[in-house]
Amino acid sequence: MTDVTPTKTLDVCGKICPYPDMNTMTTLKKMEKGEILEVLLDYPLSVERMPRNLKKQGHKLLSTEQLDGPNHRMLIEAYGLK
Amino acid sequence: MGAVVTGLFVGLIFGFILQRGRFCMNSAFRDAILMKDNVLLKTVFVALLVELIGFSIMDMTGAIAINPKPFWWGANLLGSFIFGIGMVLAGGCASGITYRVGEGMVGSITAVLGLSLGGYITAAGFLKPFKANLQAATTISGADGSALTLHGILGMDYTTLALIILLVVLAAWYFIARKNGEEYEVDKGWGWVTTGTLVGFVGILAFPLSAAAGRNYPLGITAGWINIVKKILNPAEVSLDWLGMLIIGIVLGGFVAALIAKEFKFRVPKPLVLVQTFAGGLLMGFGAVTSGGCNIGHLLSGVPQFSLGSILAGISIVLGAWAASYVMFVLPQKND
Repeated sequence: MTDVTPTKTLDVCGKICPYPDMNTMTTLKKMEKGEILEVLLDYPLSVERMPRNLKKQGHKLLSTEQLDGPNHRMLIEAYGLK
Repeated sequence: MGAVVTGLFVGLIFGFILQRGRFCMNSAFRDAILMKDNVLLKTVFVALLVELIGFSIMDMTGAIAINPKPFWWGANLLGSFIFGIGMVLAGGCASGITYRVGEGMVGSITAVLGLSLGGYITAAGFLKPFKANLQAATTISGADGSALTLHGILGMDYTTLALIILLVVLAAWYFIARKNGEEYEVDKGWGWVTTGTLVGFVGILAFPLSAAAGRNYPLGITAGWINIVKKILNPAEVSLDWLGMLIIGIVLGGFVAALIAKEFKFRVPKPLVLVQTFAGGLLMGFGAVTSGGCNIGHLLSGVPQFSLGSILAGISIVLGAWAASYVMFVLPQKND
């Protein structure tokens, strides 16, 4: 899925709980339907929790990739809540 | 030494499980209102049920004698409410910030510094008279001076009430799960049944081992950090107790688990966030010592012993966490 070009990139590395999730959701809320958000995060709890919340909001998680250590890259397709 | 070494052993297992299971009561309570996500809440619930089974079997067979905390309604209400606010600021409950030290989360390191300092000045420093007076002024105990418990008020013995609650809860759960088609899905990591069961087993394991070291109680966090502070301030006089060893074990266990999962990394938030988590830790330390326990001492260890003080403290922790989450996260979103 890495061939998808993200519309926007959000870096939430170093943020404490629950900001990685909150910032991602707020950003997605402001995006058009079908736009792709790339999220860079390093908080393992959020990596596991985020898929549940994305699903609830209707956003589509395209991929989750573990880069090095706890650093993850998520690609999310916005549902278009704007 | 001797008996306290088992604290290190239990701590290692506990820290490993907390890290792999992402167990955190702050997230559990906060997420329920903030994200309508109750997976961690269910984990806490499973852990309590498992402990209830273990504690009642051990109490019945004489392996342990349950030792509920006293009922200090004023100190339980105020202390635990402030603790609840503090853990939202700190970004984790007492056990959460402790295991995350082992993951390299610098925000959690400042949080435990706050917790240790806040706990120390309330237990042994200038806030000690305030805490002692509030506890004394709001104590209600049984006719024989014993701690108030749910089973005591109902005139039952501990095991009978434990059995009744287990049957009622399991039956209710069965019917709700059948009606709603309860989903149990795991995208990544451990699920809530696994984590909750393992945390419950650590609580069961801790009780007799801690009792053998002269401390007749299951798990606890805040008093362990205070013990470490005292040891650092006065290395010649103070020795590490079972809880102090437990804390060292949790940090090491979290570190090993994070290393194995390739999740260890020093993560440094902005300076202002470090101030926030430190301040949150201070409130947690003050609150936990005033109330006589943190989320582990009261909620995880005291509630399954039916201590009225622990039950009140548990409710107060949840309310404090909700109040702080509402002000910090829900309100700003509404203005967005």
